[in-house]
Order: sequence, then C-alpha cells, then structure tokens
Amino acid sequence: MILGLDVGGTHTDAVLIEADRLLCATKTVTQPDLLATLRSALDGTLAEVAPDAIERLVFSTTMATNAIVQDELEDTGMIVAAGPGMDPGWFAVGPAYHVVPGCLDHQGFETLPLDHQAVLAAGRAIRAQGIDVLGVVGKFSVRNPAHEQQIVEWLEGQFGHVALGHQASGKLDFPRRICTTYLNAALSGIHRRFTEALTRILDEKGIKAPRYVLKPDGGTTRLDASLPFPAQTAQSGPAASVMGALAMDGCPGTTLVLDVGGTTTDMAVVLDGVPLLERTGIQLGRFGTLIRSLLTKSVGIGGDSEVHLDEAGRILIGPRRRGRPAALGGPAPTPTDAMILLGRLTVGDALGAASALAAIGGRHGWNPAVTGEQVLEATAQGIAAAAREFIAEINARPVYTIHEVLENQRIVPTSAVLIGGPVSHLAPYLEKALGLPCRVPPHHGVVNAVGAAVARVTAEITLQADTERGTVVIPEANLNQSVDAGFDLAQAIALGREVITRMATDLGAASEDLEISTVEAQSFNMIRGYSRRGRNIRLRMCLAPGLIPAWKRGV
Amino acid sequence: MTFLRAPRRTGLIFFPAYDWAISPNHPEREERLLYTQDQVLEEGLLDVEGIVEYKVRPAAHTDIQRTHFCVPDEAAVTTESHLIAAGGCIVAGDAVMKGEVANAFALVRPPGHHAMRVVHGNRGFCNINIEAIMIEYLRETYGIRRVAIVDTDCHHGDGTQNIYWHDPDTLFISLHQDGRTLYPGSGFPEEAGGPNARGATLNIPLPPRTGEAGFLFVLDELVLPMLAKFKPELIVNSAGQDNHFNDPITDMNFTAQGYATLTARLKPHIAVLEGGYAVENALPYMNVGIIMAMAGLDFATVKEPNYDRDYQPQPANITRSIEKLVRGLKATFVEGNFPRDEFKEGETYGFSRNIFYDTDGIFEKQREQIRCCRDCAGALAIESTSSLGEHILAVHIPLYACPVCQQTARDWFARAPRREFTHLYLQDRPNKSYERL
Repeated sequence: MILGLDVGGTHTDAVLIEADRLLCATKTVTQPDLLATLRSALDGTLAEVAPDAIERLVFSTTMATNAIVQDELEDTGMIVAAGPGMDPGWFAVGPAYHVVPGCLDHQGFETLPLDHQAVLAAGRAIRAQGIDVLGVVGKFSVRNPAHEQQIVEWLEGQFGHVALGHQASGKLDFPRRICTTYLNAALSGIHRRFTEALTRILDEKGIKAPRYVLKPDGGTTRLDASLPFPAQTAQSGPAASVMGALAMDGCPGTTLVLDVGGTTTDMAVVLDGVPLLERTGIQLGRFGTLIRSLLTKSVGIGGDSEVHLDEAGRILIGPRRRGRPAALGGPAPTPTDAMILLGRLTVGDALGAASALAAIGGRHGWNPAVTGEQVLEATAQGIAAAAREFIAEINARPVYTIHEVLENQRIVPTSAVLIGGPVSHLAPYLEKALGLPCRVPPHHGVVNAVGAAVARVTAEITLQADTERGTVVIPEANLNQSVDAGFDLAQAIALGREVITRMATDLGAASEDLEISTVEAQSFNMIRGYSRRGRNIRLRMCLAPGLIPAWKRGV
Repeated sequence: MTFLRAPRRTGLIFFPAYDWAISPNHPEREERLLYTQDQVLEEGLLDVEGIVEYKVRPAAHTDIQRTHFCVPDEAAVTTESHLIAAGGCIVAGDAVMKGEVANAFALVRPPGHHAMRVVHGNRGFCNINIEAIMIEYLRETYGIRRVAIVDTDCHHGDGTQNIYWHDPDTLFISLHQDGRTLYPGSGFPEEAGGPNARGATLNIPLPPRTGEAGFLFVLDELVLPMLAKFKPELIVNSAGQDNHFNDPITDMNFTAQGYATLTARLKPHIAVLEGGYAVENALPYMNVGIIMAMAGLDFATVKEPNYDRDYQPQPANITRSIEKLVRGLKATFVEGNFPRDEFKEGETYGFSRNIFYDTDGIFEKQREQIRCCRDCAGALAIESTSSLGEHILAVHIPLYACPVCQQTARDWFARAPRREFTHLYLQDRPNKSYERL
C-alpha cells in the first residue's frame, strides 16, 4: 500500500493506494507547525490501516518553500570563482559573499589558477561572522569541478556543511548556479532537522516503509537522498497537481492541465503522458535556480478572485483576491458567489452572494441568473485567454537546428483536464471558452496527494566529453574521468545509461521505473586551424516524470 | 539575488545551425557558435530582464527576390540554413520596428556580406546577403527609407557594397583589413558609390595589426560624423568578429572590450553576425561583450582569458597611418561633396567587372548599365555570364524609382532579345513583383 501526503496551504490530504485503487482519502487542516500537521494527517490514515501495511510513503512538503518565502534561511557564506564576464558582484547573495581569483573556460581549461590565500582569507572572514554553512561555486564548474573541489579541500573541517555548485545541476548558468547552491546550503539545517523529526514520528508510528519526497519536476527522490539538495523539495505543489491529473486522467494527446484554486489557476501541458519541463529551472521566491521543474504558469484568476467591472462595464476577474467569497462573509463578489447565486453550490449565505453580485449586474440591468452566468463566462474566458498566451509562449521557444526549424513542432492542446475546488461547475464554461473538450477526473479534491503517491523517481545527467582535453564530466554524478581520443557518442551514451541507472537506483528508483530518455545527443568535431583536434560531445539523459507502473488509470 | 535588469531592451536571435557546415573542416561549420552559446548561457545573459530571445523562422524565396537575382533560381543557390539565417535577421528587424525591443542582435550563421546582387553560388562563405534581405523587407514593410550599414567584419563587405552601390538612400561604411593583404582584395576609398550615389559608400581599409585604439579612432573621427551627416532612420552593424587578435584567418588586433565599446558608441539598431572564426577563444567573449553593450550593461569585466598575455596595443606607426587615412577621408566624405559632373543626368553608363566565387570556384563576367538620375537610384540592368554556362539579363527597378527610370527599366526588359539569354529577370520593387523568364 502507498501512502501519499500533500501539504497544502489550507488542507493537508492523505491518500492510501493499493495497486491501482484509491482506498481512502482524508483531509486535515494545515497548521502553522508542519510536523504537527503531518502527525495528525498520519493519525487520520492510521485509523484506517495498520502501519506495517504501508510499503511506500511519499509526501510533498512546504518546509523549504516556507523558509524561502518567510526569509528564514540560515546565514550562509559563499565563495565564488568567476573570472572575466558578467561582474560576479551582481549576483551576491547572503550575508558573506566572497569572490576569489580563479577561472576556467567553457572547455574546463584553467585560465587563471585559484588563489589559495584568497580562499583561506574568505573562509576566515566567513567563520569570523559565526557562519557554519558554506556554498562554493565556480563559473563553468560543470565542465570541470576542480576549482570547487580545491576550495573544499583547502577549507576542510572548517564548516559544518558545504554545498557545491556542480552537484546541483549540470546545466550552464552561473548566476542560477550561485542561487541554487546558496539555497541548498542555507536550507540544509532546516531540512535535516525536519527530516530527523519526521523520521522520529514515523518510527514512533511504526511506519517502516521507504520514504520519498516529491520534487518540482513531478518526480520523487528518497528522503535521505534529498539531504544535500533541500532546495529540490521546495514548491512541489504544482507538480503534485499535474502528476495527479496524469494519474487520474491519463492525459492522452496534448492535454492542457488547469488547476483552479482560490486565488490562482495553475496551467501545465502534458504531451502524450509526459509533462513539459521548464527550460532552465524553477523560480523560488526571489531566487532563479537550476532545479528542474515542470513548466507551469499561474494566472491570478480563481474561485475567490474579486469580480469587478472596468470603465466600459466589462466584467473582470482578479487578479486581486480580497478575501473569502461574499457568501462566506467576504468583502467582494467572487466566481464562487456566482455559483452559489445560481444554486450550483449550497454553501454560505446565498443572499450575501446575491447582494454582492447585484452591483455587477445592476450596471447592465441583468437579473441575478444572467449576472451569475456572465460572471462564470468571464471567469472561463479569462482563464482561456491566459492559457492561449501560455501555449503561444511555449511555441515561441527558440530552437537551434535546421531540423527543428523545419519540423516546427507546435503544441496544440487537444483537450483539457480540470482539477481543484469547484471545477465541475466551471467545466461547461471552460469547454466553450477554450474550444476544447474538458474532463474533470474523479476525486479531484485529493488529486495532489494521489499525484505525489504514484509519481516515480526522476533523475537527470548532463554529460560533456572533450577529447581534446581528454575528459568526460557528469557533474550530477560526481564523475570526472579521462577519456582517449577515440571516445565517441556511442560510448558516451553507454556510459550515460550506466551512470543514470546507478544514480536513479541510489535515489530509490525500482528497476521497472528505469525508463531512460535521451534529451540531447550531439557530437561536434573540434577543428583548430584546418585539422580535427578532437570531439566535443554533449549528452543529456533523464528519467522523465511519470507514474509508477503499478498504477493504472481509471480509479 | 533578483534578476539583473538591462537598461535597454535587446532582442537576441540565436541560430547556431548545429546541423550545417560548408564542409567538415571548414571554418563555417557546426561547432562555430557552440562555445558562444556555452558562454552566453553560463553568464546568465538570457536571465537578464530585458534581454529577449526570439525564435527564428526561414525567409521565403520572395524575401530574397527583393534583393537578389539568384541564378538560375533561389532553390539552386541556397540551403535551409541560408534561409533561416536571413529569416533570423528579419525576425530581428521586426522586433525592432514593432518597438518590442530597442535593438536586436542576430547571432546567426552562415554569413552574407560577400553575396552580391547577382548570385551564382557561394563566395567568401556567403550565398545570400542576409542584411540586405532584411533591410529591403523592412523598407517594404515599414516604409523606412534611409539606412546605414556599418560593416565591421575584417573582410571588405563587397557583396553589400555591390547591392547598394547605386542607392543614395543607403550609406555603406566598411572597416576592414587592407584589401592588398586579405580576401576579397577590394574596399579602397576610391570605391565610393555609383553615379547616383557618390559618397554613399565609404571604404576604410586598415593596416594589419590595427588594435583597439585604431578602430575606436576611426569610429569616433569618421564613422560617427558620417552617420550624423547622413541621418539614417536605421543603423545596421554587420558585426563580423574576425578582427580579433585570436582569429586564425586574419591579421588584425581587435578585442572583446574593443568590440563592446564600438557597439556601445555606434548604437546599432540591429547587429548581424558575419565572419569570425576564433570559435573557442574569441567569439564567446566578443558575443557576450556585444550583447551586454547592446543591452546597456556595464561590460568592463569582459575580456579574453589570454588578453593580458597576448594582446599587444597597436604600434605607433600604425596609429600614425590610420590618423592620416582618417584625415583624408573625413575631408572628402564628411566635409566635402562628391561632384556628379562626370555623369550626365538622363544618360546611361556601362561598367564591366569579373567576379570569382572562391568557395564554389565559379567565374562570372558582368556588364551593367545604369541610368544617371538625380531623383532616384536609377534604372539598372546587369548582364551576367558564368562559367556554369548561364547567361542572364537582370533588370532592377529601385523601390523609390522615379517614373522615368521605371519606364526605362521596363523598356529594357521588354526589348531584351530573349533567345540570347538562359534567363531574364525583372525585379520591379515599386510594384512588388519579380519576374523570371
């Protein structure tokens, strides 16, 4: 049996899944204390099932997200080796940011040796501020981790925790590498303490199953494997809802996923069962990172958004949310009030809804029923316009080969899946506004928890081989070894498969989860003067987000 | 850290054509922009608020037909990569003209500035002139007229010069390594434009080993005053990067700092990559510098890893010779006026030339006739014979041609003895038509 837990802003959902069936779902109120919330959610579930019947536990947590948003990050020192280019001072982060001389070029060749004295001095200055965690980042460290490793070696034993830039992601983007490393360092203590406390609770409840945590890319990782990369556990909510939509609906063809919440609607696209990913990484608060993430976009239209009129008298929904719906004592009319007014929801005070919406309809001389219809139509049209813009942005993403330009692959949704709150009442309106068939999967109230429960392990590697320099580097796997001049793309692919298999297994993937996709595989001849001096190979492989094989759709 | 914000919105059109090469070991090969992309991505330039990356699309054959006579036709002398490079420039031009960005940089390949009006094949790595195709598209689409092209590639932009030779609305300025020492061997100050556009072509041949000081001196003392005099609506920079001290096929001494400074002062609306073949130790830094300069970011910290070791400021004798050259050209082009007396209004003049296509090994003989006209760029006819057996007549009616020149050109086309030619072409810009017989 699998236990899935999703900690949301207002509710925490727990689901129990047996093979491909949802056995039970419980909702508890999210409390400010995350551990207390998890404890009561677990108690709710354990009322239904014996602890040793649970074989796998997956949860999505808000711990890292909250720490970032509430600015409760631990004081962290940063040592950065940049060299020429953008001024590294522009990317300063944290209370003790030090730039030291030392530089690698894009091939990973050292163009300026690391300055030993400067590194020691930076270490001393950071320690002098009483700081015990350190982030170390070099420009192009994903091509050659030598400088980052050298810094750690020189500062051996001086810091309680050190996060290294090249281990977090193999992608190029120095400023994002700085932010990602900073967050991994600054969240490490918080995440470790949380993990320890959670482990104690689970032990105490007798749950011995392997523990997994959901990531923003819609994949899971073993809880203990997440310790060096705590930023990966932030903001997994949108991923949980997309994976839930996939689990509940199957998402055939090109599916637009719309998660309609109180304040916003989150949008995503699933292509033949595989969600689209962000090109660089997720934005966490004010930090741009390299953490792999599903491509989602939020629009400020939800069930509790304020309904208002523009100067021409057109109905506008959001982006402001002024509080609860008027029917529940809120200050302004909302789409939820329109549903109440039309008798489709039977919560709250229908008269309150009617009087709040009267001001909207009054302008046009509409009766309450017409007003309600108009508000729901406007809500659907607002969401549809945002969805069209989202799709247009995806289709405007640049491509870099003739092949891709000529192929001109465009995303054109063939249907939409709606999840969240009262979407069933909005479905006919959205169907019309989007011009697409819309489906509302069952159990949409706990879709996120199901998504977390049945998401499989994801992993990614970035391989770069340079036979001129004689090296192959896979930063995510800490692999940096020499190769001979004959190393070619086929050998790179074989090595990549071996490494990602090992890595995914370490992260907790079962053998049946190991569906490896090659995202990029290119080999360039390196010509200097007029003769070939080597081969430059770039390979990216991943375990794409997907569902564990035991789960079949159709709950 | 929040994302950096650029003072100016800059469009970036990046098309490295990772699946196209002239031949495997050719400088114009798949690898050329690989390290530039690495550097741009690693610097985080695409995260900068205000730097907007655009997707390319291929140009249509009708886009080429505003500029070129392709012999026998467009399909025969272009590949998809040429169409996409030209299309990338058009995307850049649209972004600027629509006001989405203040300026744009088309980092595309292959280049185009050696491609002339008549195209039989590839010369100097170029088949079609991607800047000219863009400019003629922008003129027709947005109604702009006066355009300046500043070509800072190390090689003389002979193709662009040829296309705009007769056009008084296009100022073409080329800074390049002296033609006596480098391909294509042209680009001397005496080449100053045809009878209807005298002084709208300005060639500035620079001695080998010209460095930062020399380029910036020419820019400040000659190029910028010339632009101030011409008052273009649009400035296009053919941003070749082979003046670099690391470049393997030239002998100049320019730098990433120098290129970025030049870009910041020139303020082109659109920059288009041309040559530049130090793919691993110059292009990454120069392109980062140019993008930062266009976006208005401080590029003081951009330099090549081997700058301190290998860059030599230009010797004093070169400084002196550049100063002398600039003084002379300034007196003629900026302060003086070109006399038109040698040509008579309404008369037709003929010129002949031989053209060699180095990449494709084609010999071409051209004879052109131009009507001397005070009111427009003049009716133009080109008779061209190639070693591939083509013998064509191409008639061009300029976009802003006067009624007399329009009629003259149509008469030339109508009366041409068709049997003598393998193909006849009429490029009728005022009527937006292109005819091929």
